[in-house]
Amino acid sequence: MSRLVLEHVEKRYGTVPVVKDVSLTIEEGEFVSLLGPSGCGKTTILRMVAGLVEPSAGSIRIGEKDVTNLPPNKRQIGLVFQSYALFPHLTVFENVAFGLRRQGESGNGFSARVREALALVRLADYGERYPRQLSGGQQQRVAMARAIAPRPRVLLFDEPLSNLDAKLRDEMQIELKRLQAELAITTLFVTHDQSEALSLSDRVCVMHDGIIQQYAPPEDIYHRPATAFVASFIGKPNRLSGTVAGNGADGRIDCGQGLTIRAAAVAARAGSAVDVFIRQEAIRLSTTPEAADNALAGTVAMRSFSGAHVQYVVRLPNGTELVVETPSSGPASDLAPGSAIHLLVSAADVFALPAAGRAS
Amino acid sequence: MNEQKPGFAVSSFALLVIAFLQVPVIVVVLAGFSETSYLTIPPQGLTLRWFGEVLTDPTYLSAIRISLILAVSATLASMVLGVAAAYAIHKKMLPGSDAITSFLMAPLVVPSVVVGVALLQYFTLIGWRGSFLALILAHTIITVPYIVRSVLASLSGIDPSLEEAARVLGANGPSAFRLVTLPLIKPGLVAGALFAFVTSMENVPVTIFLASARQTTLPILIFSSVEMGVDPSVAAVSTLLIVATAVVLLLAERWAGFHKFV
Amino acid sequence: MNSARTGLLLIAPLAIVLVGAFLVSVLLLAPTSFREYLPGTGIVPDSWTLENYLRIATDDFYREVVWRTLALGLGVTAACLMLGYPVAYLIVRGDPRWRLPLTLLVIFPLMLNLVVRSFGWIALLTNRGLVNNLLMSLGIIDEPLKLMFNLTGVMIGMVHIYLPFMVLMLVAALQNVPRDVEAAAATLGSGRMHVFTAVTLPLTAPGIIAGSILVFVLSISALVTPRMLGGPTYQVMATLIYDEYMQLLDWSSGSALSFTLVAIAVAIIWLSNRAAKRWAGLA
Repeated sequence: MSRLVLEHVEKRYGTVPVVKDVSLTIEEGEFVSLLGPSGCGKTTILRMVAGLVEPSAGSIRIGEKDVTNLPPNKRQIGLVFQSYALFPHLTVFENVAFGLRRQGESGNGFSARVREALALVRLADYGERYPRQLSGGQQQRVAMARAIAPRPRVLLFDEPLSNLDAKLRDEMQIELKRLQAELAITTLFVTHDQSEALSLSDRVCVMHDGIIQQYAPPEDIYHRPATAFVASFIGKPNRLSGTVAGNGADGRIDCGQGLTIRAAAVAARAGSAVDVFIRQEAIRLSTTPEAADNALAGTVAMRSFSGAHVQYVVRLPNGTELVVETPSSGPASDLAPGSAIHLLVSAADVFALPAAGRAS
Repeated sequence: MNEQKPGFAVSSFALLVIAFLQVPVIVVVLAGFSETSYLTIPPQGLTLRWFGEVLTDPTYLSAIRISLILAVSATLASMVLGVAAAYAIHKKMLPGSDAITSFLMAPLVVPSVVVGVALLQYFTLIGWRGSFLALILAHTIITVPYIVRSVLASLSGIDPSLEEAARVLGANGPSAFRLVTLPLIKPGLVAGALFAFVTSMENVPVTIFLASARQTTLPILIFSSVEMGVDPSVAAVSTLLIVATAVVLLLAERWAGFHKFV
Repeated sequence: MNSARTGLLLIAPLAIVLVGAFLVSVLLLAPTSFREYLPGTGIVPDSWTLENYLRIATDDFYREVVWRTLALGLGVTAACLMLGYPVAYLIVRGDPRWRLPLTLLVIFPLMLNLVVRSFGWIALLTNRGLVNNLLMSLGIIDEPLKLMFNLTGVMIGMVHIYLPFMVLMLVAALQNVPRDVEAAAATLGSGRMHVFTAVTLPLTAPGIIAGSILVFVLSISALVTPRMLGGPTYQVMATLIYDEYMQLLDWSSGSALSFTLVAIAVAIIWLSNRAAKRWAGLA
């Protein structure tokens, strides 16, 4: 268990940069997710940490040791692959024992450690089976046991849950969190699934185009996005374009044709173009006018029911359409198209950020 | 039901063709047990005499021995050279993998008889003519493409992250290959080795130009003795080869799923 | 991570063997093919002549051998295709339980020694062979039929030798035909025969081409079967090369003939690869 530090790490394939000047510190025992769309460079970073890809520049340290030029077998890391990469010709026991054998382990303590790792993922009785005899979720747990058995200093996950169906994924997510809490191993978890990243991590590192967009605890990522990309990528945001009105101090943004929206803070000069993000779930609906930072009148254009929530498309007088999500058991959950409605949004839930770095 | 299935006529015709494929095999076996030197159906009298003759004839025994030593040596050499090269090609360690593969397959494209005369002239030139090592070298050249081909096919079916997993778990490059990749390509390697062995065992067009009188292999011996006509002892030794082939084929099928690699 | 160096180390042993022995030896045939040969004296050093090649193009005997080789190759290929397609079809589309045994019955002759198989045909086809004995004892013929040392014998033997290759190529091609596409044609109103000619056959064309190239190239290069079943008089290119090297010791003419054979094989492979690519582009 050690600190993992990346300093000015870069990766180029030919002249194409994939990872651009990434510096990142993961504290001892911390769980960090690398979150971003595919092609953002997150898997490349993980593979550089594992030693499977050579960085073009920069250095990687595990604990006090510079591992930048070490081969993967000298790094003492655990890696759970997206495909699990279980050895099909070896039993579950031998898969888990593989790393321990490489450390020269043998004897009684050795099989005890293998069994301990298997018990940890609740597969104590499956040692004699072969990977192909296990379900997807069981294979996933063997992959985890195999990675943790040699007691690595850093644990890496490469989209480990993406091959599981939705229900199993939720179960494994809980299992993973329990396991990491129990072992307190420094963990780097690569995913494109924001709810996975937000619920599992101590800190989330959002990446886009090989650049770190924001590195912060999940709450900050969600409530205080640092860039337009983060605001557009996290949650289910409505995006409007506008310009900063007045001198910019009161947070008013002119969204055109008489629509003015107030944000708590505006990180842009007066008169400059901004993207305005309002999450679907941050908009409150009311059938009567109410006082709020932003109180907008509109009409319901469309309603769709999805179980726990109801989504409305609401058309504002200037023609702008906003999507609103509301609990299906709450008030205003059964509005017919054409109904007049009031939208209430707190200024703190409006993010006005310089127009750049769109989500793909 | 309008599924595309072979009808009765097509099936019967196909079975006849498959039977046609077995005809010479059956005939040879029958001739090996026949008392007469010419063949009739039913065979007139059964005897094991010809087998006894073959198994005590020093000419046959020497030819069998030479053939086996040659085939085993060439197959082993091909396996070592072919696995190493195929692995490097598969991992794209060098640029131009496709071109390299085509070159390694070239001995299959050039007619064997041409390989034979080319090596005859070359070995004569450098003074290796009549050397048994040169013969092994020649057989290695004609068998190695089979190993390269089947190993490449096996390697392409392996998840590349398996070897990475082994590396991350503490195995260095060579042990990751030995512990993970090698066991996984074993069926393909076995199939390729078997094909290489059989190719060497039956080769005439290259061997006949290079082998000295003392290096006569079994196929060369049969090839030259049929000029004398149908001889029951040739049938007997051929029957032995047929049985050996059938046993090896069935074992390879059970062990490695051979038919998937042909 | 010096993967290029590791790669070089891994490929080098085989590359050295193939370049040092195979490539160099084949290239060294080239100068020989332009040397003059005097019967009784041998190859004239430092001579230079196109005579060896011109003879192949102009001399009636050589021309006949070349044409015979090519015609035999075409005949064997066509026969293998006609006989092989139904077998491949039965293996792929027939009862799945019969699939493995039938496949093994096709592979078995392939694994069996070429010389043994040709020997089996001799036992069948000679004047006192099984076929003639049978026909004569049944009273169908009085005189033995001449089944060997001619086109008939060589054709039968070669078709038998190369048929398994064709079947295996066609099996691979048939397996790649998606059943859904055939089903789609059937739902669109095609009868079974039309489904076959309009869908299955065109989709297996790459396999047909690949199998045909393989069989054609193998049969024009064959030495053992033509010699064993054709005898010393019914010559094809490979047997003629053998005789020129081993009996006549005319290595100059033999190497010219060798190069001609290689040129034909390479040209056929190159041309049909182009054709196959064009087909694949259409399909």
